[in-house]
Amino acid sequence: MFSRIMVANRGEVALRIIRACKELGVETVAVFSEADRDASYLHLANERICIGEASPADSYLNIPRIIAAAEIGDVEAIHPGYGFLAENPHFAEVCRDCKIEFIGPGTEAMRALGDKIRAKQLARSARVPMAPDSDGVVEGVEQAVQIAARIGYPVAIKAAAGGGGRGIRFAHNEATLKTVFKQAQSEAEAAFGDGRCYMEKCIEDFRHVEVQLLGDQHGRIVHLHERECSVQRRRQKLIEETPAGRLDPDLREEMCSAAVRLAKEVGYHSAGTVEFILDRGNNFYFMEVNTRIQVEHPITEMVTGEDLVKWQLRIASGERLTLDQKDIVQRGTSIECRINAEDPANDFRPSPGRVEALVVPGGLGVRWDSHVYQGYNIPPMYDSLIGKLIVHRPTRQEAIAVARRALEEFVIYPNQTTIPLCREILAHERFVNSQWDTTYIEREMLDS
Amino acid sequence: MAREVNIPVNVKEIKQLIKLMVDNGLTELDIESGTMKVALKRGPGGEPVVAYPAQQEQADRPKAQAGGLPDRQAGGKPKGNSKPTEALLEIKSPMVGTFYTAASPDSEPYVQAGDHIAGDSVVCIIEAMKVMNEIKAECSGTIAEVCVNNAQPVEFGQVLFRVRP
Repeated sequence: MFSRIMVANRGEVALRIIRACKELGVETVAVFSEADRDASYLHLANERICIGEASPADSYLNIPRIIAAAEIGDVEAIHPGYGFLAENPHFAEVCRDCKIEFIGPGTEAMRALGDKIRAKQLARSARVPMAPDSDGVVEGVEQAVQIAARIGYPVAIKAAAGGGGRGIRFAHNEATLKTVFKQAQSEAEAAFGDGRCYMEKCIEDFRHVEVQLLGDQHGRIVHLHERECSVQRRRQKLIEETPAGRLDPDLREEMCSAAVRLAKEVGYHSAGTVEFILDRGNNFYFMEVNTRIQVEHPITEMVTGEDLVKWQLRIASGERLTLDQKDIVQRGTSIECRINAEDPANDFRPSPGRVEALVVPGGLGVRWDSHVYQGYNIPPMYDSLIGKLIVHRPTRQEAIAVARRALEEFVIYPNQTTIPLCREILAHERFVNSQWDTTYIEREMLDS
Repeated sequence: MAREVNIPVNVKEIKQLIKLMVDNGLTELDIESGTMKVALKRGPGGEPVVAYPAQQEQADRPKAQAGGLPDRQAGGKPKGNSKPTEALLEIKSPMVGTFYTAASPDSEPYVQAGDHIAGDSVVCIIEAMKVMNEIKAECSGTIAEVCVNNAQPVEFGQVLFRVRP
């Protein structure tokens, strides 16, 4: 096990990593930007190093400054958290070249899976079901039209370098496709420095089901079952749960096995998640792989009892995965609500600023993962996540009741949050009956 | 020169003063002008505790002394923590790395206390990822204090030198 690592992230996930390290007896060096100077979670790290101004480019995305801090902090490894540099293969490569271990998958696996076209090719080789698609780069408008005729409208045009819901355009007919295709290419070039696009048949009103994986550096890979993440607002997850509702056990088994096959195909190690689309006919299709720990990892931890961040640390330090697939079971139901500082009355515009009052719920089956405390000033230039409310009970019905009760107790003032929206969803008949799909909120719940 | 200032007596204006204190992290705010005085003190829990405004004094009480707004900038904008009595400039580290006073172990230090520097004077080296970066003063004056030791790790924004302008 490492004796000292760097936490190259901030906020909730930085605290999460520090906690796991403390429990393992690993010292931590936390980096921070000037905007995070007063954050109290920094005092839980053994050392704190200021790496730059508030802007992410000057701090949390700044590879030279982070590596320089790792050198003076004398760390053996870096945990990148999620977001920022977590899925940046160049960063992973620089770390390893500087003889600092990157707590995540191998650089080549990250590169392969980060390129969405290559990822699909790997999924195809691993016999993972795929939605009808272009099977590679689409060079020009004419080719786009031919492909759309083959796979059928509506189609999605996606950036090869995109991911996480970004860089996607849609076309419901040929005329729109001709207009939108070139735009998609230039937007991809501008946003990711890579204008390559591919196309997929657009599956409408789908469910998002993903599989958690752990792999060690000795070739062993296991899955920790699935998560349902269909409650989304504009492709951003809001409420996640495990097990997925109304999922046939054979279908669940097929998805999990497919995920493991893909991970083996690419020689994956560390934590990772394979995301699938589930259509109304209960057919599942490969979406993408996230080569990092995910925001919603706690619900998997609650039902399996496994600490995923600790496993990342063990795996990165060379230890073997001692989990047997047959011993990894789901006990009960766990639900997570993301509490973001966003104003639902104003198109979910961020609601940063000082948290004057904060009262957090407790009780049996309630877990609150957050770096925020009363008096904390939520900076405006980073993501708006305040914290994650996670519940775990033996039945789904009870878990929903606990989540509703906990959200009712929650006090946060004066920032606006997603709490009212979460409460509405948890009380909604569709949610209770596990009939949610990923665009329901936009279609039916929001006015404008 | 003494200024006549409108001392707020209504709740709305006092609330604005409280917000001013909270936003600037102040624990005390005293305003005196003419016949009025307002003293506000925030309790340890961070909750503002309002002290009552002084009673209206006699009309023939002398006008506010010069500097009735103690040590505050004109325009009623209170300063934060007290500054050192001498106004020294600070040369802060623009990067993360290891500080060296000289170009090499055998060389003389670039600067010492008492040396005069100009904007483009090299004051030190900061090494990061095996690259030696020459750090320029970006200000002029006399080195009053060298704040870090040779071969000490420094973070972004750390004060390296204090300079008398």
